[in-house]
Order: sequence, then structure tokens, then C-alpha cells
Amino acid sequence: MERSHFFSGNEAIAHGAVRAGVRFACGYPGTPSTEIVETAAGLPGIRAEWCINEKVALETAVGASLAGVRTVVTMKHVGLNVAADPFMTLSLTGVNAGLVIVSADDPGMHSSQNEQDNRAYARFAKVPMLEPSDSQEAYDFMAEAFALSEEFDTPVLLRSTTRVSHGRGGVVPRVPVEFEPRGYARDISKYVMVPQYARVRNRLVWERLQKLRTRAEQSPLNVLEAGTADFGIIASGVAYVYAREAFPKAWFLKLGLSNPLPYKKVVRLFEEVSRVAVVEELDPFLEEQVRALGLPVIGKEAIPADGELDQEVVFRALEPFVTRKPPRRRRPTLPPAPALSAPPQPAPGLPVRPPVLCPGCSHRSVYTALRRQKLAPMGDIGCYTLGALPPLLALDSCLCMGASIGMMAGFNRALGRKAAAAVIGDSTFFHSGVTPLIDAHYNEAEGLVLVLDNRTTAMTGHQGHPGTGLRPDRSQGPAVDIQKLCDGIGVRCTTVDANDHQALDELVKAEVEAPGLGVIVALAPCVLTVRERAGAVVVDEEACNLCGLCLKLGCPALAARDEAVVVTDACTGCALCVEVCKRGALSRADDGGEGAR
Amino acid sequence: MNGATTVSLVGVGGQGILLAAAVLAETAAAAGLEVKASEVKGMSQRGGSVLSTVRFGEHVWSPVSPHADVVIATEPLEGLRGLSLLGPQGTLVCAVTPRITPGSVLRREEEYPDDLAGAAAARGVRLLAVDAESLARRAGTVRAVNVALLGAASAALPFTDDAWQRGLTAALPARILEVNRRAFALGRGAVASQEVET
Repeated sequence: MERSHFFSGNEAIAHGAVRAGVRFACGYPGTPSTEIVETAAGLPGIRAEWCINEKVALETAVGASLAGVRTVVTMKHVGLNVAADPFMTLSLTGVNAGLVIVSADDPGMHSSQNEQDNRAYARFAKVPMLEPSDSQEAYDFMAEAFALSEEFDTPVLLRSTTRVSHGRGGVVPRVPVEFEPRGYARDISKYVMVPQYARVRNRLVWERLQKLRTRAEQSPLNVLEAGTADFGIIASGVAYVYAREAFPKAWFLKLGLSNPLPYKKVVRLFEEVSRVAVVEELDPFLEEQVRALGLPVIGKEAIPADGELDQEVVFRALEPFVTRKPPRRRRPTLPPAPALSAPPQPAPGLPVRPPVLCPGCSHRSVYTALRRQKLAPMGDIGCYTLGALPPLLALDSCLCMGASIGMMAGFNRALGRKAAAAVIGDSTFFHSGVTPLIDAHYNEAEGLVLVLDNRTTAMTGHQGHPGTGLRPDRSQGPAVDIQKLCDGIGVRCTTVDANDHQALDELVKAEVEAPGLGVIVALAPCVLTVRERAGAVVVDEEACNLCGLCLKLGCPALAARDEAVVVTDACTGCALCVEVCKRGALSRADDGGEGAR
Repeated sequence: MNGATTVSLVGVGGQGILLAAAVLAETAAAAGLEVKASEVKGMSQRGGSVLSTVRFGEHVWSPVSPHADVVIATEPLEGLRGLSLLGPQGTLVCAVTPRITPGSVLRREEEYPDDLAGAAAARGVRLLAVDAESLARRAGTVRAVNVALLGAASAALPFTDDAWQRGLTAALPARILEVNRRAFALGRGAVASQEVET
């Protein structure tokens, strides 16, 4: 067969990505994964970025996928620990355009601080996993991975190891996959993972896993290869090539799509031969699942659980078993599909009572200013996430702590313009918003970051954080100034009083029109921590025609009555409703406005 | 189940459900019973529905239960929601005031349901309806709605007045103890004078 290229596995993954229609690749360097992004950076038609860390890389990739562009993100095994927060919830949201996460593991720790088997992450997050065993498969599996990602609405883990990534072999190029970028459509119940939406998505994850198992049974990536010996081997990744060389006459179940495990194909192998071994590096990942079927298998009692394998190690380990008396045949028990809890059902006929933004909450004024601009607001985690619910519908996404800024950067990178903004609270900004901001600056991302600085960790009950310096015992430590921090990074930043609605509105407008990246710190202490109240808003019942504009603010202090809106005594006098009213029907009592009666 | 009695306290975030649950738990402990309790915090702090469960008996295993013997509701809509926890032998101790209107009703997208008595009767649940807001005001603060309801609920619970007083003392900060004692007494009196319907 003609060999057009002699690629390392990592080069093959990069070329395979381009062939699969990938237009954005990012990651954080880490042996043995580094050359994927480096190779992609030299290829036409794909943008490659180094990100500040693996978490930000994955969040940036999610943003690009959401914007409709096929995206690959790469890291070494321990990098997925850093990216585990977005990874675990990404399983729930799924993707828009395909998204593939390459994890390159390092058995033997050639260049790593530990030896962890990242196949566990595929089971943990209930996502499909592909394991190429050589460069050609590394190239071919990329297109398979993207097709799976979109068909099953899931991120896909492509797991490599040192000898696949840094091994070399022939790669025959294939016909490029035609992929038109997908349009973006806001879908709050899919992408905003607040509890009531996440509960629904979580059930879909379990159902998806069942469908993926059916696919794994049918997939040509999982091949039962006939042999002549009464001996069979189950293997995936580089372990397959070692075992193939060690036992040329054995039967093989070669797993390319190794999670979820195709149980029936495993049983088929046991029907063909009387002795079966699982050959795998590191953990007994496949072995334990095979044993759980009630099937006797040779595994980690012979194959070393630590370090790398090779054909010699595999041969010496299994050779005594090949001639030994076969174990007694047993009937396998296929695990039934797991039961799921009863779907959440609201009491029939009763209005639901979701948590809401408080009356006078300054987040509401930021959302009102942002809503006037045509930007997709990437959200984050805190009280302000409540703004995603009706009637505000102010956020398009909520993935994990600190995800908003990376997602914004990736979204805008994919579309090549300022199409998304990021909304993040002060405590969340310090938790994990600083790194993606530095990253966005370094990668010259387009975007607008709104830091909703209410001077506390409000959602959990007003705890301190580095921006306030407040400690759990209420003592005061040093406080970090967000404005100065941004100045130090070199990113354009303006601080504005979040209760000054007009100034906020003008600033947001100016930042949306300005090129590049800007930060607005919208500063106003949490209304629950403020004792002084402005005079409550009053209604001119003649002027009010119940148009509902003010009610769309979702303020619990405003209610519709028969002829006009009424203001309850929960009103703090923030007067945002006064500004959205087009008929001048609302005014502040202490302004002596014409609405006062 | 297993002889344990389950009381579910429901209301709106900010109404003092967790504090009322603490009083009840301390009272049951003062009566010499084993107590387990569970609460869901987090999102419910921002005006959402809140549910807290207190279970007591000779021996209690689980801190939660999908069924309650008594539901104490500090708000009528939440009382209606809490009906689903009760079987035909159950008791709903429900504040008819204050009403806290959810957003969808404020915007007139949904109706605030009206027929608490009818819904309780249809389910065969004994209803103790309490004008809790007025009682709390008479005690000295509207914030004592939660404890006024506990006073009303004491009619349906097997504890002596002494146990209740010890529960109140154990769970409440000293500066608000007296006003809550008054609210408790008013709630207890309101039910005693009410013709209990089944």
C-alpha cells in the first residue's frame, strides 16, 4: 500500500483534525501531547492557540464549538485534571459543532509527575472514547470522533499514549470531510446548567450512554479478528499492537471505540475461544468491566499494572496461560440498563417559585444594559446565573466556575468578531476568571467582560474573597483591586457604578463598538448588605397602560393589577423600572416626580 | 415509616423555615426522642421554595422522607405544594397570610391558586389555617410568622409546653426569644380557639 506520509501520532491527529473540517485547535503544552497544536499551527485553514492552562483551553474550545466550528483541544493526562470542571458538565450540555478532547497519557512517566489512566474520565463523564493504536488510526479516528460528537451531542475523548503520540508510521491521507460551520441558536435549557435544566440534561446523558453502547456494538472500530489459537485477547490503543506481535495466532477483540464497552462483542469472543486475556496498560479498565459480566479473564494478575508494556512483556506475562487448562465456561450476565429516578414534575396547576434576583439587585441593571446590545452573553456561576431564567433570559450559557471568559473568547474567535460577551461575578472572577482574562489578552481575543462586582460571594451567603479581603472570622485581610489587576495585565478596563444606569448603558455601548478586548467592572454592593434605601418607586395609574416592559425586569417588587402596575413594599428604589418605562408612569417618590400621589 | 414522625416545613426563602425547623428539632430532642433533620439551601435563598424536614421518634434512620405526617407552611401557595407530601391522615398547618406572589403571577402569566380548603379536603387532609401575619404582628414582628405557625402546629404534635419552651430557648438567639415566645403562644391559642375541621 502506498504510504504518503510518515507521521508521528500527534502529527497525524493534527492532520486528521484538518481533514475532519476542524477550524480551531487549542491546548496547553504537555508531553506527550504538545506537537498536535504545534503541527496544527502550520497547517492551512485552522487557527491554533496556546491557552494559559487546560481548563481555559477547554472552555475556549467549548465557545468555538458553540459558535458552530469543529474544534479540537489537546492536553496531557494531568491536564485533564485541570480541565475536569468544564469537562464533567460539558457532558451534560453537549456540543453544537463537534468537540474532541485529546488526552495524551504517559505510561511509564517518561515526562510526567504521575501515571494516571485517563480512560477513567470517559466512564466518569459518560462520554465516548476513541483509542487509536497507530498513526493511521490517529488520523482516521479524528473524523470518526467528530461525527460521533455531533450525532450523539457529546464531547468525545480521544485518548492517546506516549507510544502512539510519539510513535511514527505511515499515514494514507483520506478525502477531506465537508463540514459547513453550524449556525448558533441560543438554547438556554441546554447550555445554562442551573439545577432545573441540569436535571433534565443529566437524564439525557444516561440515555445517551445506552445509545452509545449500541453504537459500540455495531461500530467497525470495534473488530473481532479471527485467529487460529484457542486464545483471545481484548485490547485497545498501543497495547493492541504489542499483543498482536506477541500472539500472532490469537483471536482479537480490537477496541477503537473503547467506552462504552460493547458487551456483546466481548461475549462473542468468549464463544470463539476458551481462554481470554485483557491486555492493557495501567488500570484494569476493560478487565473489571469484563469480569463484571461474569466472564473469567486473565488480566492484571499477569500484565503489569504500572509502567509501559511491550510485546516481550506481554508475551512473557501471558505465555503460561495459553497452554494452561482453560477455566470453566460460565454464562455471562449483561448488565441491564440502569434505572433512572422519576422525572422531576412540578405540582400540577401550581405556579412554580424559582429563586429570583432580589428587588434592587444591581445585576438587573447590567442585564438591562447588555440586552440592548446584540451579544450572546456567556454566563458564569453565582446569583447572577438566576438572570438566565424567565423573564430576564439574560444569559446564554453557564458551564462551570470561571467558564464565561474562555467561552466568550472561543466563540468570538470562531466567528471572527465580537459576537459574545462574558458575565462574571467578583468572587467567581477571583476563583478562576483571572487566568482566562490573561489568556484572552495574550491571544488577542475580541470581547467584552462584565465583572459584576457586588463586593461579596452573595449566592452562598455573603462570604469574603480576595477582592474584599474579608476572612471567615470577619477579620480584614489585604484586598485585591480588580481595576488595578486589569491595568497590570494590560487589558482595557473601566469601573462604573452599577446603579448609575445611564453611565453603565453608555459604557457598555462604547465597549461593544470598541475593537479588541475590554473589561467593565460594574460596581455596587449586594443590595442585601445595604441598609439605606432610596425612596420607593410610585406609579402614575393614569399613565400606566400595563405594557409589561417593567415586568420583564423580573423584579419581585413589581406586580400587574387590573388597570396598572403596583409597587410593593419590597421596592428598594433602585429605579431601573423608572428608566425602562416609556410612558413616564413610574417615578421615585423622593424625586417628587409627577407620578407621586 | 418505622414509627418515626415526619414534619415537613415549607415556605419561601427568607421566611425562617430553617430556624423553625431548628426549634422543632430541639423540642423533639427535649422530649427525649431521637431527631434527624435535613434542609436544602443554596438556590432557595433567593426567594425560591424552601423545604426542611424534621423526623423524630424512638429511633430514626433517614433524615428525609417523601411523605410527611404534618406539613407546616409559612405561605399558602407553598402549603398547597406541600399537600402532595401528605396522605389522608396528614395535617397541614398553613399560614393564609402572608401571601408571597411568585414572579409568574406578578406578571399575570399564571393565577395564584385560591382554594386551599377545597384542595385539603379533596385530599382528605386536616387543615389548620392560621392568620400568621396578624399573629406575628401582634407578637411584635412580622418576622415571627414561622414561630407563630409552630405554635399552631403544636396542637398536632405530641410535645408538652415545657418541651416547646426548651426548644425555643435552645434554638433562638436570646435577643429575639421573648417576641418569639409571644408569637408561639398566640399561634397555640389561635388553634385552640379554632373549631378544628377534618
